[in-house]
Amino acid sequence: MVRSTSDDKWSALPIFVIFVICCMVFSGVLHAQQAEEAPVTEAVPTAEAAAEIPASDQAAAPEAGDDATTDVKAKLEETLKKNKKCLRCHNKERTKLLEDGKELSLQVHSQDYLDSAHGEVSCISCHRAIGNRKHPSKKTNISISSEREYSVEMNSSCRKCHMQKYKQYKGSVHSALVTQGSDKAPLCTSCHNPHAPVSMVDYQAETDLPCKNCHESIFNAYSASVHGQARMNGNTIRDSHIQSPICSDCHHSHEVTALAIGDALRTTCIACHENVTLLHSQWLPNTGTHLDIVSCAVCHAPFAQRKYDLHLYDNIAQVPLAMKEGEEPIQQQLQAIAEEGGIKDPLEIWKARRGDMDGQVVDISLRSRMEVMSGVAAHQIANKSFAVRTCDSCHEPGSRQKQNVTVSVTQPDGRIQSFDADREALGSVEAINSISDFYALGGNPSKLLDIMLLLSLAAGIAVPIGHFTLGKMIKEYMARGEQ
Amino acid sequence: MSNNTPEPRQPDAWIKTKDSVLYINPLPIRIWHWLNALGFVALILTGTHIRYAHLFNLMTFETAIKTHNWVAFAVIANYFVWLGFYLFSDRITVYHPELNFRKFFDKAFKQMMYYGYGIFRGHKSPHKVLPHDKFNPMQSITYQIIMLLVVPIQFITGLMMWDIKRFEVPIALLGGISTVSTIHVLIYIFFVSFTLIHAYMGALGNTPATHFREMFTGYEEEH
Repeated sequence: MVRSTSDDKWSALPIFVIFVICCMVFSGVLHAQQAEEAPVTEAVPTAEAAAEIPASDQAAAPEAGDDATTDVKAKLEETLKKNKKCLRCHNKERTKLLEDGKELSLQVHSQDYLDSAHGEVSCISCHRAIGNRKHPSKKTNISISSEREYSVEMNSSCRKCHMQKYKQYKGSVHSALVTQGSDKAPLCTSCHNPHAPVSMVDYQAETDLPCKNCHESIFNAYSASVHGQARMNGNTIRDSHIQSPICSDCHHSHEVTALAIGDALRTTCIACHENVTLLHSQWLPNTGTHLDIVSCAVCHAPFAQRKYDLHLYDNIAQVPLAMKEGEEPIQQQLQAIAEEGGIKDPLEIWKARRGDMDGQVVDISLRSRMEVMSGVAAHQIANKSFAVRTCDSCHEPGSRQKQNVTVSVTQPDGRIQSFDADREALGSVEAINSISDFYALGGNPSKLLDIMLLLSLAAGIAVPIGHFTLGKMIKEYMARGEQ
Repeated sequence: MSNNTPEPRQPDAWIKTKDSVLYINPLPIRIWHWLNALGFVALILTGTHIRYAHLFNLMTFETAIKTHNWVAFAVIANYFVWLGFYLFSDRITVYHPELNFRKFFDKAFKQMMYYGYGIFRGHKSPHKVLPHDKFNPMQSITYQIIMLLVVPIQFITGLMMWDIKRFEVPIALLGGISTVSTIHVLIYIFFVSFTLIHAYMGALGNTPATHFREMFTGYEEEH
């Protein structure tokens, strides 16, 4: 009897199991139907997902309310579904030892990710290789050599959605440096955290602007400048609210370029300081020319050291002559001379360049600009009441001696390399032809013209004296003869 | 006036203020000449200041530039007083070149001999000053070149440097601003000695003040 009872008990087990499975299936179908028919309205989308999200993140989850919130929640649910597997592990604090011996944090804060612009994007959209069962692990025998290398590898994954920005980035000096193998040049992820991307607009310029990481001295100069100060004072200049520029306003965020050559810098300044021509023309002769060839910082960074910067200019194409890929003899020559500690005669460079292009129609001249000596100085813009307004700081012969002369060459990657040049050559007769616009009233008189002026002055004095003396002598001679 | 002297042409009625054939320099020319003289001196001084700012401390560079520009415009306007007068007067003949080279060189040689020797011996100038032929051959060729070539070039190059942007195209045609500046400076260098020698030669009249006085009154005194 007992046995029989026992048998009865065990015979009920399969029925119970079947019942439980049926309940689970029914519950699942019902739940799926609910999800399909009506948007989820709970604070936490699903019990499973909620289990994966820390309590602190749950508290931050949006509350039920209007349709917009409902939409967000639906998307959230969708994302959580897509990324559930990944976040189950990667939501937790864990690291991976890389081949270079450093540890890489693998944690992705679910809520931050969901709140970000990437909140709707599934993990494998970017981590494609992982989606193809190539998750780095001991099992798959796939490892990561270094964080940098992984970031370089992942950089192109942004292209899929951000094609335009990616193209702009590819044309930047930063991308060129990455291609050259730089281990510091920024990648997409250097500025944008892919798991919690923030718009550049929301960056706190003074604290977390990524440019600072590499360009610290320039950033410090900027911070102390009239622009940086205005920014820190809540963009307030003389009691009025003015949006003061941050790095990307002048250098762009993605198509980052050096502004030192051509009129890029002036154009950038004028973009905000619209009435700059009018204001300068009230006192500055040849305003247009000054604004063309004198970098704004030369006067507006009053303590900066200045230089005459020469660059080769293609007069036919009307553009600064940039070095092209595989065409670098001048740069090599310059580099060789620089390494020997020598200085260069810009005219020799001009001649060499012309020589290089023999057989083609070329019209190349050396063009000059007044620049500040360093990138740091270019950012030390002071309040305009401190701007230099003394003409003779450039327009007197001695000023040349006080200022440096460099020859700049635009490299294929868009960067500008400057070499010290022989300032004496600029005053020579030959410079008149080659350096067609190297000219500052009084700033660069040639010695030959100085000598000619002295001779002219001497003639103006000697001719009257000579003629007068000749007259005296003739009169005396004749008087003696008559006696 | 002796009987041998050819009967001179009568000057235009509107120029003739007094009944004299020796009225050589009419009022517009006298005004032009002295304004031009003052202008040239001011331009040379401010020009020198601009070019050699470190050697002079008379004014700021900015003032030198502004003065130079304003005086230059006055001198250019004044040039048209001279040009207008001669274009609308029969006295333009004083600037007509002597096309007979043999005659020209002969007269020029005689004039040079006069300046190199005769003048000290009290000889009369081989050139007879007349309202329609007031310049001796050396003056004639010098002033033709100066007034019709050198001075206009100086004005044009100066204008170009006054507003480089506005005259970008002609500047480029001339080979760039350095070339334009060099031409301007070369002419300035020429005018430095010209002005001094011109003033000295002005003092070679009967008395050192004679020619200066003539240039104020308009009348030739030596006849």
